[in-house]
Amino acid sequence: MKNLRWIVPALLLAVAAPGCVLVSGQFLIDFNLPNFDASTDTAVSREDVDLTTESDYQDHKNDLKGLSDVAVLGKITNSGAADIGVEIWMTAAGTTYSTPTQVTTNGTKLWGPFNLSAGATKQVGWDESAKLFSSTGKALLINEIKGDGQFTIYAIANAGTYSFNVDDGVLALVIDFGK
Amino acid sequence: MKRALAFGLLAIVMGAGAAQAAGPKVGIGPYGGYNIALIQQDTGNGAVYGIRAPINLIPLITVEPYYASSNLGNVDETFGGLSYTRTGFDMKAFGATAILGSLGGGGLKFYPYAGIGSYKLERTGSEEIKETGYNFGLGIGIPAGPKISVQARGGLDMIVTGDTSRKFANATIGINYNLMSGK
Repeated sequence: MKNLRWIVPALLLAVAAPGCVLVSGQFLIDFNLPNFDASTDTAVSREDVDLTTESDYQDHKNDLKGLSDVAVLGKITNSGAADIGVEIWMTAAGTTYSTPTQVTTNGTKLWGPFNLSAGATKQVGWDESAKLFSSTGKALLINEIKGDGQFTIYAIANAGTYSFNVDDGVLALVIDFGK
Repeated sequence: MKRALAFGLLAIVMGAGAAQAAGPKVGIGPYGGYNIALIQQDTGNGAVYGIRAPINLIPLITVEPYYASSNLGNVDETFGGLSYTRTGFDMKAFGATAILGSLGGGGLKFYPYAGIGSYKLERTGSEEIKETGYNFGLGIGIPAGPKISVQARGGLDMIVTGDTSRKFANATIGINYNLMSGK
């Protein structure tokens, strides 16, 4: 029986060897967004995201393997007269689009719609937010996270005219890393 | 050296023969414990429970099919002064574990174990994770009657997800009831 005691360490080595999956984990990185107002009366609201400014991202950048979970969080107020669905769009490169049409024509829908009735204020739930990501947007986001970590996001609404504001916005990313 | 090898082979043949003559030992037992999520900032810890059925066909190895279920805890975070909760995963697994030795009979028993299984992790807003996982650890068997023993184990479950993994340390305690004693 003692001769067979190598089985457990051997199995450990076999499991650890391919890609060293033992030395891996899921890290939460939150990127704070400034408070902003979005309205069809003004140019679309955008934010240039640079994940390289986040120390956790920098610490694990070379070991990034993927995106495990993602959420757009914050408190959104619909200050307009119509019900709206708030959406987040993104472009891989830094862009400066000024109209919703430019954004939806050239960008990729990342998240939404987060439905909000006229005059309502609602805090986006983490679970609720995670469900609102589009698969194509998530794929693009993963590419950017594994790439230079820099991209532009736009906040618009799926209505002809809209007006809303976002307070305490956060882009929360749970990133897979492995040695 | 040759003599030792010959004795070793003879012992294995005799042991296997004796086991076949005695018949298989089969047990069953529920267990419960606690899973601790390791290096995972998007899910919490939680209770684990399940059932195992050890089958001892040859003296050296016990094969133990198992089923396990775990409700992992939520993660609470504060961003920008606002509190948020992310629901933890529900994890279900089934597979088989190899144990060095047998669980029933005799006195206090220490044993290493290692196994492989199919793991499924689900929660709202996340893509289902359905991957192969591995488990390994150490166990202690404590006799508690002619057919019953208490089994305490500490180990690690690792679910391989591409180039990374999700890992859980766990401690469990259960009972093993011998359905067939092999006699």
